[in-house]
Amino acid sequence: MNFSSKLIEEAVNAFASLPGIGKKTALRLVLHLVGQEEEVSENFANAIVKMRKGIKECSICHNISDDDICQVCANKSRDHSLVCVVESIRDVMAIEDTGQFRGVYHVLGGVISPIEGVGPSDLNISSLVHRVQQGEIKELIMAISPTIEGDTTIFFISKQLADHEVKVSTIARGISFGGELEYADELTLGRSIVSRIPYRVRE
Amino acid sequence: MHLRRLILTNFKNYEKQVIDCSPDINGYVGLNGMGKTNLLDAIYYLCMGRSYFRFTDLNLVRHGEDFFRLEGLFSIEERAEKIVAKVGKGRKKVLERGDVPYQRLSEHIGLLPVVIITPDDTSIVNEGSEERRRFVDNTLSQLDPIYLRHLITYNKVLKQRNSALKQMAANNRYVPDLLSVYDEQLLAPAAYIHEQRQSFTVDFEPELRRLHFVISGEREQVTCRYKSQLLEEELSTLLQQRREKDRILQRTTAGIHRDDWVFEIEERPLKKFASQGQLKSFVLALKLTQYNWLKKEKKSSPLLLLDDIFDKLDHQRVQHLLELLTQGEYGQVFITDTAQDRLSKILSNLKTQYLQFVIFNGTAEPSSS
Repeated sequence: MNFSSKLIEEAVNAFASLPGIGKKTALRLVLHLVGQEEEVSENFANAIVKMRKGIKECSICHNISDDDICQVCANKSRDHSLVCVVESIRDVMAIEDTGQFRGVYHVLGGVISPIEGVGPSDLNISSLVHRVQQGEIKELIMAISPTIEGDTTIFFISKQLADHEVKVSTIARGISFGGELEYADELTLGRSIVSRIPYRVRE
Repeated sequence: MHLRRLILTNFKNYEKQVIDCSPDINGYVGLNGMGKTNLLDAIYYLCMGRSYFRFTDLNLVRHGEDFFRLEGLFSIEERAEKIVAKVGKGRKKVLERGDVPYQRLSEHIGLLPVVIITPDDTSIVNEGSEERRRFVDNTLSQLDPIYLRHLITYNKVLKQRNSALKQMAANNRYVPDLLSVYDEQLLAPAAYIHEQRQSFTVDFEPELRRLHFVISGEREQVTCRYKSQLLEEELSTLLQQRREKDRILQRTTAGIHRDDWVFEIEERPLKKFASQGQLKSFVLALKLTQYNWLKKEKKSSPLLLLDDIFDKLDHQRVQHLLELLTQGEYGQVFITDTAQDRLSKILSNLKTQYLQFVIFNGTAEPSSS
């Protein structure tokens, strides 16, 4: 792509370095900003710099946070004895969006996969063990991808906690809500039948 | 089950080719390097989702192009099935059944059973144990999707475990708990695979003996024995015992990935004592046993792909093979040969329907004879 301006070219390259944005989209965004007041670009750039400089990692759960302790961990009305263990910050947001969970989180930062160079010490596992050792936590809910690496991670964490009185559960795996049985793959359907749930008639 | 039409686009040396197939016997004649074997590999690819000759997907793309596409129109119990494989640079490979892409390639395995016989198959006897596991896995995977799934899981966990061992050595940081987790994850798939391989060997051997006798015309007894560390000891114990050794060697030294099969003739290892002729007879018997086994278990005839075998087998063995073919035990067959008159003669003797094509530089023309 030929640019008549070096300034435009630099800005396009900057946008295009972001995930999911190609050169054409980047150019559209840049030209849009060119057409706006100078102030718009300034506010835009400031918001990004402010975010990047100010953003912190929660010292308890490793979620992103404006302060040393994130809003979830700081919230006294949440159940601090129930911890949902997730791979990434995006999982926290997804679970928060459900509005179904009133406990707190622990973000591992990935799953154990030595092939990709991720060992247990590269994840926030020791801080999780430390949290459990303090005794307040009654249950860990493992909300981790149902993959081999996910299983390895769950298994490894449970081993680290074998000496502690904490209940470890995993999120249910099975037929999706609104899904039809005949379209479910064999593995999922098989597992769903094995780990079926008792049906209760509402009173 | 049979292939009615094959369409190749940019596959190996084929730019664009449509081939209509006979439900009985199809002969492809051409000189070496013209693309006969590529046609068989294309058919194999549509059945198994990959090349038999271990080409990587991108190496199957015609020189100078950036994608290939294979389309096969099959008939399964009178029902039409369209299978399409698409591979392109920088894109994920796609395999479709009736225009719907598979989520996992492994779901396709077994829909279209196939057996291929090539001159290089003697490697099953001559080369390392990996070749024999590949043969058995290929057979069992086409029959049992659970076997294939366990095999995929086992291999993934094994790769992670080996990788972990390497990293522990590199970082000088031993994490026994992680190894224990991997050990645990290996147990269930290993147990299933081991059990299936055991019962497979028991059922396979008598038919192998019978066919070996038919093909070789000789009375020598061949046997096939399954060799596995798991026959002596539980895998959990083995992994425990070998922990230190694994640590030093930085790989997993016990498990079903070390299984092997020992082929013997008159109680002597075939690998060392068989003549070239005996070896060829044995391998042919092995492959035809695979064919009969799949046919029996699937209750439908697999596709049979015979690559250049008339050139490499002597007259007598070819006769035995043809007798088997004419006995009508076989479904759709694809045969390649370099000599047109030889193949024409063989095919016309078979007294069944056949279609013959002449292959020249990546084009296939129906032949009149």
